[in-house]
Amino acid sequence: MGLATFLERTWSGITGLVKPRSASSLFRLADQYRHEGRYEDAAELITEGLRVSPNIAVGHLLDAYLHVVFREMPAAKASFRRVLALDPYHPRALFGLARIALEEGDIEGCRPFLDRAIQYFPDFPEAKALQEMVATWTAPAAGTSSAIGTISTERLRLPPGAHDLVLTHADGTLVFAQGSEERQKHLGLHMTQVYRIASATLARAGLGAMRRGVIEGAAETTFLRSDGGVILGVALAREVEVGAGLVQVGRLWTDLNIKA
Amino acid sequence: MADPQPTSDSTPSGGPNAPRPSRAQAFRETLSELTRLDGVRGGLIVTPDGLVITSELPPRFPVEALAALAATLGRELELGASRLERGAFRTALFSADDGTVFVGGSPVGYVTVVADRNVNNEGVRTALGRAVDRLRGTWRTPSV
Repeated sequence: MGLATFLERTWSGITGLVKPRSASSLFRLADQYRHEGRYEDAAELITEGLRVSPNIAVGHLLDAYLHVVFREMPAAKASFRRVLALDPYHPRALFGLARIALEEGDIEGCRPFLDRAIQYFPDFPEAKALQEMVATWTAPAAGTSSAIGTISTERLRLPPGAHDLVLTHADGTLVFAQGSEERQKHLGLHMTQVYRIASATLARAGLGAMRRGVIEGAAETTFLRSDGGVILGVALAREVEVGAGLVQVGRLWTDLNIKA
Repeated sequence: MADPQPTSDSTPSGGPNAPRPSRAQAFRETLSELTRLDGVRGGLIVTPDGLVITSELPPRFPVEALAALAATLGRELELGASRLERGAFRTALFSADDGTVFVGGSPVGYVTVVADRNVNNEGVRTALGRAVDRLRGTWRTPSV
Protein backbone atom coordinates (compact mmCIF):
# COMPACT_ATOMS: atom_id res chain seq x y z
CA MET A 1 0.00 0.00 0.00
CA GLY A 2 1.38 3.38 -1.00
CA LEU A 3 1.72 6.25 1.45
CA ALA A 4 -1.03 8.24 -0.31
CA THR A 5 -3.47 5.34 -0.11
CA PHE A 6 -2.57 4.73 3.53
CA LEU A 7 -3.16 8.41 4.42
CA GLU A 8 -6.38 8.48 2.44
CA ARG A 9 -7.75 5.43 4.25
CA THR A 10 -6.65 6.74 7.63
CA TRP A 11 -8.29 10.12 7.00
CA SER A 12 -11.45 8.42 5.75
CA GLY A 13 -11.50 6.30 8.89
CA ILE A 14 -11.11 9.33 11.16
CA THR A 15 -13.82 11.35 9.40
CA GLY A 16 -16.05 8.28 9.40
CA LEU A 17 -15.75 8.07 13.17
CA VAL A 18 -16.80 11.64 13.78
CA LYS A 19 -19.39 11.94 10.96
CA PRO A 20 -22.89 12.42 12.37
CA ARG A 21 -25.03 9.38 11.83
CA SER A 22 -27.88 9.75 9.40
CA ALA A 23 -31.46 9.69 10.68
CA SER A 24 -32.13 6.43 8.87
CA SER A 25 -29.14 4.77 10.49
CA LEU A 26 -30.30 6.03 13.89
CA PHE A 27 -33.77 4.63 13.26
CA ARG A 28 -32.39 1.32 12.10
CA LEU A 29 -30.32 0.96 15.25
CA ALA A 30 -33.27 2.09 17.35
CA ASP A 31 -35.43 -0.61 15.80
CA GLN A 32 -32.74 -3.16 16.56
CA TYR A 33 -32.65 -2.03 20.18
CA ARG A 34 -36.43 -2.20 20.35
CA HIS A 35 -36.32 -5.82 19.26
CA GLU A 36 -33.81 -6.48 22.03
CA GLY A 37 -35.94 -4.78 24.68
CA ARG A 38 -33.51 -1.85 24.99
CA TYR A 39 -36.30 0.68 24.98
CA GLU A 40 -34.54 3.54 26.74
CA ASP A 41 -31.60 3.36 24.30
CA ALA A 42 -34.00 3.16 21.38
CA ALA A 43 -35.92 6.20 22.62
CA GLU A 44 -32.75 8.31 22.72
CA LEU A 45 -31.85 7.38 19.15
CA ILE A 46 -35.36 8.09 17.88
CA THR A 47 -35.39 11.51 19.54
CA GLU A 48 -32.05 12.27 17.92
CA GLY A 49 -33.18 10.93 14.54
CA LEU A 50 -36.37 12.99 14.56
CA ARG A 51 -34.40 16.07 15.54
CA VAL A 52 -32.19 15.58 12.48
CA SER A 53 -35.02 14.56 10.13
CA PRO A 54 -38.49 15.29 11.48
CA ASN A 55 -40.32 14.17 8.34
CA ILE A 56 -39.41 10.50 8.18
CA ALA A 57 -42.47 8.33 8.76
CA VAL A 58 -40.57 5.39 10.19
CA GLY A 59 -39.10 7.61 12.89
CA HIS A 60 -42.55 8.65 14.06
CA LEU A 61 -43.70 5.04 13.83
CA LEU A 62 -40.89 3.87 16.10
CA ASP A 63 -41.66 6.79 18.41
CA ALA A 64 -45.29 5.64 18.57
CA TYR A 65 -44.27 2.07 19.33
CA LEU A 66 -42.13 3.17 22.26
CA HIS A 67 -44.92 5.35 23.62
CA VAL A 68 -47.14 2.26 23.57
CA VAL A 69 -44.49 0.24 25.40
CA PHE A 70 -44.33 2.99 28.02
CA ARG A 71 -48.18 3.10 28.07
CA GLU A 72 -48.22 6.73 26.92
CA MET A 73 -51.28 6.32 24.75
CA PRO A 74 -52.11 9.96 23.92
CA ALA A 75 -48.51 10.48 22.78
CA ALA A 76 -48.61 7.19 20.85
CA LYS A 77 -51.79 8.24 19.12
CA ALA A 78 -50.24 11.59 18.14
CA SER A 79 -47.17 9.86 16.72
CA PHE A 80 -49.24 7.36 14.73
CA ARG A 81 -51.19 10.30 13.32
CA ARG A 82 -47.92 12.00 12.33
CA VAL A 83 -47.03 8.85 10.38
CA LEU A 84 -50.36 9.01 8.56
CA ALA A 85 -49.81 12.69 7.78
CA LEU A 86 -46.67 11.64 5.93
CA ASP A 87 -48.03 8.36 4.55
CA PRO A 88 -51.85 8.13 4.69
CA TYR A 89 -51.92 4.38 4.03
CA HIS A 90 -49.19 3.28 6.38
CA PRO A 91 -50.49 -0.12 7.57
CA ARG A 92 -48.67 -0.15 10.90
CA ALA A 93 -49.89 3.32 11.85
CA LEU A 94 -53.45 2.39 10.90
CA PHE A 95 -53.14 -0.80 12.93
CA GLY A 96 -51.71 1.09 15.90
CA LEU A 97 -54.61 3.53 15.90
CA ALA A 98 -57.05 0.62 15.60
CA ARG A 99 -55.59 -1.00 18.69
CA ILE A 100 -55.76 2.22 20.69
CA ALA A 101 -59.40 2.73 19.63
CA LEU A 102 -60.11 -0.83 20.73
CA GLU A 103 -58.65 -0.35 24.19
CA GLU A 104 -60.62 2.89 24.50
CA GLY A 105 -63.76 0.82 23.86
CA ASP A 106 -64.38 2.63 20.56
CA ILE A 107 -65.27 -0.37 18.43
CA GLU A 108 -66.84 1.71 15.66
CA GLY A 109 -63.73 3.88 15.56
CA CYS A 110 -61.47 0.82 15.41
CA ARG A 111 -63.04 -0.84 12.37
CA PRO A 112 -62.21 1.78 9.68
CA PHE A 113 -58.52 1.72 10.62
CA LEU A 114 -58.39 -2.07 10.28
CA ASP A 115 -60.38 -2.00 7.04
CA ARG A 116 -58.05 0.60 5.52
CA ALA A 117 -54.94 -1.27 6.62
CA ILE A 118 -56.15 -4.51 5.05
CA GLN A 119 -57.55 -2.81 1.97
CA TYR A 120 -54.12 -1.56 1.00
CA PHE A 121 -52.08 -4.37 2.53
CA PRO A 122 -54.08 -7.61 2.35
CA ASP A 123 -51.21 -9.70 3.72
CA PHE A 124 -51.44 -8.38 7.27
CA PRO A 125 -52.27 -11.26 9.66
CA GLU A 126 -52.30 -9.13 12.83
CA ALA A 127 -54.86 -6.70 11.39
CA LYS A 128 -56.92 -9.58 9.98
CA ALA A 129 -56.98 -11.27 13.40
CA LEU A 130 -58.38 -8.13 15.02
CA GLN A 131 -60.73 -7.46 12.11
CA GLU A 132 -62.21 -10.94 12.43
CA MET A 133 -62.46 -10.52 16.19
CA VAL A 134 -64.41 -7.27 16.11
CA ALA A 135 -66.53 -8.20 13.08
CA THR A 136 -69.35 -9.60 15.20
CA TRP A 137 -69.04 -7.22 18.12
CA THR A 138 -71.90 -4.90 18.81
CA ALA A 139 -72.21 -2.17 21.38
CA PRO A 140 -74.83 -3.10 24.00
CA ALA A 141 -78.12 -1.32 23.47
CA ALA A 142 -78.72 1.25 26.19
CA GLY A 143 -81.42 0.24 28.61
CA THR A 144 -81.80 -3.25 27.16
CA SER A 145 -83.81 -5.35 29.57
CA SER A 146 -82.30 -8.61 30.68
CA ALA A 147 -83.80 -11.98 29.97
CA ILE A 148 -82.78 -13.10 33.43
CA GLY A 149 -84.01 -10.10 35.38
CA THR A 150 -83.04 -8.79 38.75
CA ILE A 151 -80.93 -11.09 40.88
CA SER A 152 -81.17 -11.24 44.62
CA THR A 153 -77.71 -11.84 46.08
CA GLU A 154 -79.27 -12.97 49.33
CA ARG A 155 -80.12 -16.41 47.96
CA LEU A 156 -76.65 -16.85 46.48
CA ARG A 157 -73.93 -18.74 48.30
CA LEU A 158 -71.46 -15.89 48.04
CA PRO A 159 -68.08 -16.88 49.50
CA PRO A 160 -66.69 -14.70 52.30
CA GLY A 161 -65.05 -11.59 50.91
CA ALA A 162 -66.61 -12.06 47.49
CA HIS A 163 -67.43 -8.86 45.65
CA ASP A 164 -67.81 -7.35 42.20
CA LEU A 165 -70.24 -10.09 41.23
CA VAL A 166 -71.17 -9.41 37.61
CA LEU A 167 -73.31 -11.13 35.02
CA THR A 168 -73.40 -9.91 31.43
CA HIS A 169 -74.50 -11.20 28.09
CA ALA A 170 -71.69 -11.87 25.63
CA ASP A 171 -72.85 -8.86 23.58
CA GLY A 172 -72.11 -6.62 26.56
CA THR A 173 -75.63 -6.18 27.85
CA LEU A 174 -75.33 -6.00 31.61
CA VAL A 175 -77.66 -8.30 33.53
CA PHE A 176 -76.46 -7.60 37.03
CA ALA A 177 -73.46 -6.17 38.84
CA GLN A 178 -72.62 -5.18 42.38
CA GLY A 179 -71.45 -1.71 43.33
CA SER A 180 -72.15 1.82 42.22
CA GLU A 181 -73.56 2.58 38.81
CA GLU A 182 -70.14 3.68 37.59
CA ARG A 183 -68.50 0.51 38.86
CA GLN A 184 -71.22 -1.67 37.37
CA LYS A 185 -70.55 -0.07 34.00
CA HIS A 186 -66.79 -0.68 34.25
CA LEU A 187 -67.31 -4.26 35.45
CA GLY A 188 -69.70 -5.11 32.65
CA LEU A 189 -67.53 -3.59 29.93
CA HIS A 190 -64.35 -5.17 31.25
CA MET A 191 -65.85 -8.65 31.64
CA THR A 192 -67.28 -8.49 28.13
CA GLN A 193 -64.03 -7.29 26.57
CA VAL A 194 -61.95 -9.89 28.40
CA TYR A 195 -64.36 -12.63 27.36
CA ARG A 196 -64.38 -11.52 23.73
CA ILE A 197 -60.61 -11.12 23.37
CA ALA A 198 -59.81 -14.27 25.35
CA SER A 199 -62.30 -16.23 23.24
CA ALA A 200 -60.69 -14.95 20.04
CA THR A 201 -57.24 -15.87 21.38
CA LEU A 202 -58.34 -19.38 22.39
CA ALA A 203 -60.03 -19.87 19.03
CA ARG A 204 -56.95 -18.68 17.16
CA ALA A 205 -54.87 -21.19 19.12
CA GLY A 206 -57.35 -23.90 18.09
CA LEU A 207 -58.55 -24.60 21.63
CA GLY A 208 -62.28 -23.82 21.40
CA ALA A 209 -64.59 -21.43 23.17
CA MET A 210 -63.77 -19.89 26.54
CA ARG A 211 -65.42 -21.63 29.50
CA ARG A 212 -63.48 -20.48 32.54
CA GLY A 213 -61.08 -17.72 33.45
CA VAL A 214 -58.90 -16.66 36.36
CA ILE A 215 -57.40 -13.16 36.54
CA GLU A 216 -54.87 -12.58 39.28
CA GLY A 217 -54.32 -9.00 40.38
CA ALA A 218 -52.02 -7.70 43.07
CA ALA A 219 -54.95 -7.32 45.48
CA GLU A 220 -57.48 -10.00 44.48
CA THR A 221 -58.33 -12.72 41.98
CA THR A 222 -61.29 -12.66 39.61
CA PHE A 223 -62.94 -15.90 38.53
CA LEU A 224 -65.01 -16.14 35.35
CA ARG A 225 -67.36 -18.64 33.86
CA SER A 226 -69.20 -18.57 30.55
CA ASP A 227 -71.32 -20.78 28.34
CA GLY A 228 -70.94 -18.54 25.32
CA GLY A 229 -74.16 -16.71 26.04
CA VAL A 230 -73.51 -15.10 29.38
CA ILE A 231 -70.42 -14.34 31.45
CA LEU A 232 -70.34 -14.59 35.22
CA GLY A 233 -67.51 -13.01 37.20
CA VAL A 234 -66.69 -12.62 40.86
CA ALA A 235 -63.65 -11.27 42.73
CA LEU A 236 -62.24 -13.30 45.63
CA ALA A 237 -59.27 -12.92 47.93
CA ARG A 238 -55.95 -13.29 46.11
CA GLU A 239 -54.97 -16.27 48.27
CA VAL A 240 -57.82 -18.43 46.93
CA GLU A 241 -56.39 -21.26 44.82
CA VAL A 242 -57.43 -21.68 41.21
CA GLY A 243 -59.35 -24.92 41.80
CA ALA A 244 -61.20 -23.64 44.86
CA GLY A 245 -62.13 -20.38 43.16
CA LEU A 246 -63.48 -22.16 40.11
CA VAL A 247 -65.60 -24.36 42.37
CA GLN A 248 -66.99 -21.23 44.04
CA VAL A 249 -67.90 -19.58 40.74
CA GLY A 250 -69.40 -22.88 39.57
CA ARG A 251 -71.61 -22.91 42.66
CA LEU A 252 -72.77 -19.36 41.93
CA TRP A 253 -73.45 -20.42 38.34
CA THR A 254 -75.72 -23.20 39.66
CA ASP A 255 -77.43 -20.90 42.15
CA LEU A 256 -78.24 -18.44 39.40
CA ASN A 257 -79.69 -21.27 37.30
CA ILE A 258 -78.31 -19.55 34.24
CA LYS A 259 -79.97 -20.17 30.93
CA ALA A 260 -78.36 -18.15 28.18
CA MET B 1 -46.42 -8.75 7.98
CA ALA B 2 -42.97 -7.60 8.97
CA ASP B 3 -42.45 -4.17 10.41
CA PRO B 4 -41.40 -1.61 7.82
CA GLN B 5 -37.66 -1.37 8.10
CA PRO B 6 -35.85 1.92 8.11
CA THR B 7 -33.82 2.43 5.00
CA SER B 8 -30.25 3.33 5.66
CA ASP B 9 -26.99 3.72 3.94
CA SER B 10 -25.12 2.22 6.83
CA THR B 11 -25.83 0.24 9.92
CA PRO B 12 -23.62 0.97 12.89
CA SER B 13 -22.23 -2.16 14.35
CA GLY B 14 -19.61 -3.05 16.88
CA GLY B 15 -18.10 -0.61 19.36
CA PRO B 16 -19.59 0.56 22.62
CA ASN B 17 -23.14 0.67 21.25
CA ALA B 18 -23.14 -2.92 20.07
CA PRO B 19 -25.95 -5.01 21.57
CA ARG B 20 -24.98 -7.18 24.47
CA PRO B 21 -27.02 -10.05 25.87
CA SER B 22 -29.35 -8.56 28.44
CA ARG B 23 -33.11 -8.29 28.33
CA ALA B 24 -33.29 -10.18 25.05
CA GLN B 25 -31.44 -13.09 26.61
CA ALA B 26 -33.58 -12.92 29.75
CA PHE B 27 -36.72 -12.98 27.58
CA ARG B 28 -35.60 -16.11 25.77
CA GLU B 29 -34.58 -17.91 28.96
CA THR B 30 -37.81 -16.94 30.70
CA LEU B 31 -39.96 -18.30 27.91
CA SER B 32 -37.87 -21.42 27.52
CA GLU B 33 -38.38 -22.32 31.19
CA LEU B 34 -42.13 -22.09 30.73
CA THR B 35 -42.33 -24.08 27.53
CA ARG B 36 -40.44 -26.94 29.18
CA LEU B 37 -43.31 -27.52 31.63
CA ASP B 38 -45.47 -30.61 31.16
CA GLY B 39 -48.52 -29.97 29.01
CA VAL B 40 -47.28 -26.68 27.60
CA ARG B 41 -47.38 -26.54 23.81
CA GLY B 42 -45.53 -23.27 23.44
CA GLY B 43 -45.58 -19.60 24.11
CA LEU B 44 -44.44 -16.15 23.19
CA ILE B 45 -43.50 -12.83 24.74
CA VAL B 46 -45.06 -9.85 23.05
CA THR B 47 -44.69 -6.13 23.79
CA PRO B 48 -47.76 -3.94 24.33
CA ASP B 49 -47.44 -2.71 20.74
CA GLY B 50 -47.62 -6.28 19.47
CA LEU B 51 -43.96 -6.90 18.67
CA VAL B 52 -42.99 -10.53 19.21
CA ILE B 53 -39.82 -10.47 21.29
CA THR B 54 -39.43 -14.22 21.32
CA SER B 55 -41.65 -17.19 20.57
CA GLU B 56 -41.53 -20.94 20.88
CA LEU B 57 -44.61 -22.24 19.14
CA PRO B 58 -45.20 -25.24 16.91
CA PRO B 59 -44.98 -24.37 13.19
CA ARG B 60 -48.75 -24.59 12.66
CA PHE B 61 -49.46 -21.78 15.11
CA PRO B 62 -50.27 -18.40 13.56
CA VAL B 63 -47.69 -16.45 15.56
CA GLU B 64 -48.45 -12.94 14.26
CA ALA B 65 -52.20 -13.24 14.73
CA LEU B 66 -51.76 -14.77 18.17
CA ALA B 67 -49.34 -11.99 19.13
CA ALA B 68 -51.82 -9.29 18.12
CA LEU B 69 -54.56 -10.91 20.17
CA ALA B 70 -52.27 -11.58 23.14
CA ALA B 71 -51.13 -7.96 23.24
CA THR B 72 -54.73 -6.76 23.02
CA LEU B 73 -55.78 -9.14 25.79
CA GLY B 74 -52.83 -8.13 27.96
CA ARG B 75 -53.69 -4.45 27.61
CA GLU B 76 -57.35 -5.07 28.47
CA LEU B 77 -56.32 -6.98 31.58
CA GLU B 78 -53.98 -4.15 32.60
CA LEU B 79 -56.58 -1.47 31.97
CA GLY B 80 -59.33 -3.39 33.76
CA ALA B 81 -57.15 -3.91 36.83
CA SER B 82 -56.39 -0.20 36.87
CA ARG B 83 -59.96 1.00 36.30
CA LEU B 84 -61.35 -1.39 38.92
CA GLU B 85 -58.50 -0.62 41.35
CA ARG B 86 -57.55 -4.28 41.72
CA GLY B 87 -53.83 -3.69 41.84
CA ALA B 88 -51.46 -4.44 39.02
CA PHE B 89 -52.46 -7.30 36.75
CA ARG B 90 -50.12 -10.28 37.21
CA THR B 91 -51.39 -13.44 35.56
CA ALA B 92 -54.52 -14.85 33.99
CA LEU B 93 -55.67 -18.12 32.54
CA PHE B 94 -58.52 -18.81 30.14
CA SER B 95 -59.60 -22.37 29.55
CA ALA B 96 -61.59 -23.92 26.73
CA ASP B 97 -62.61 -27.48 25.94
CA ASP B 98 -59.31 -28.28 24.24
CA GLY B 99 -56.77 -26.31 26.21
CA THR B 100 -55.79 -23.25 28.18
CA VAL B 101 -54.10 -19.94 27.42
CA PHE B 102 -52.10 -18.28 30.21
CA VAL B 103 -51.13 -14.62 30.14
CA GLY B 104 -48.61 -12.89 32.39
CA GLY B 105 -48.31 -9.12 32.54
CA SER B 106 -45.16 -7.06 33.03
CA PRO B 107 -43.99 -3.60 32.05
CA VAL B 108 -41.90 -5.16 29.28
CA GLY B 109 -44.85 -6.99 27.79
CA TYR B 110 -47.02 -10.06 28.04
CA VAL B 111 -45.98 -13.67 28.38
CA THR B 112 -48.47 -15.95 26.67
CA VAL B 113 -48.44 -19.71 27.14
CA VAL B 114 -50.58 -22.19 25.21
CA ALA B 115 -51.22 -25.44 27.07
CA ASP B 116 -53.12 -28.72 26.81
CA ARG B 117 -56.47 -29.29 28.46
CA ASN B 118 -55.05 -31.38 31.28
CA VAL B 119 -52.17 -29.11 32.18
CA ASN B 120 -51.46 -28.41 35.84
CA ASN B 121 -53.05 -24.95 36.03
CA GLU B 122 -51.63 -24.12 39.44
CA GLY B 123 -48.15 -25.25 38.43
CA VAL B 124 -48.09 -23.17 35.24
CA ARG B 125 -49.61 -20.20 37.02
CA THR B 126 -46.92 -20.34 39.69
CA ALA B 127 -44.16 -20.61 37.09
CA LEU B 128 -45.72 -17.77 35.12
CA GLY B 129 -45.74 -15.64 38.25
CA ARG B 130 -42.01 -16.24 38.63
CA ALA B 131 -41.49 -15.37 34.96
CA VAL B 132 -43.41 -12.14 35.38
CA ASP B 133 -41.30 -11.21 38.40
CA ARG B 134 -38.18 -11.85 36.37
CA LEU B 135 -39.39 -9.64 33.54
CA ARG B 136 -40.25 -6.90 36.02
CA GLY B 137 -36.65 -7.18 37.22
CA THR B 138 -35.30 -6.65 33.71
CA TRP B 139 -37.44 -3.52 33.43
CA ARG B 140 -35.84 -2.04 36.53
CA THR B 141 -32.36 -3.02 35.37
CA PRO B 142 -30.82 -0.44 33.06
CA SER B 143 -30.68 -1.95 29.60
CA VAL B 144 -27.14 -2.74 28.53
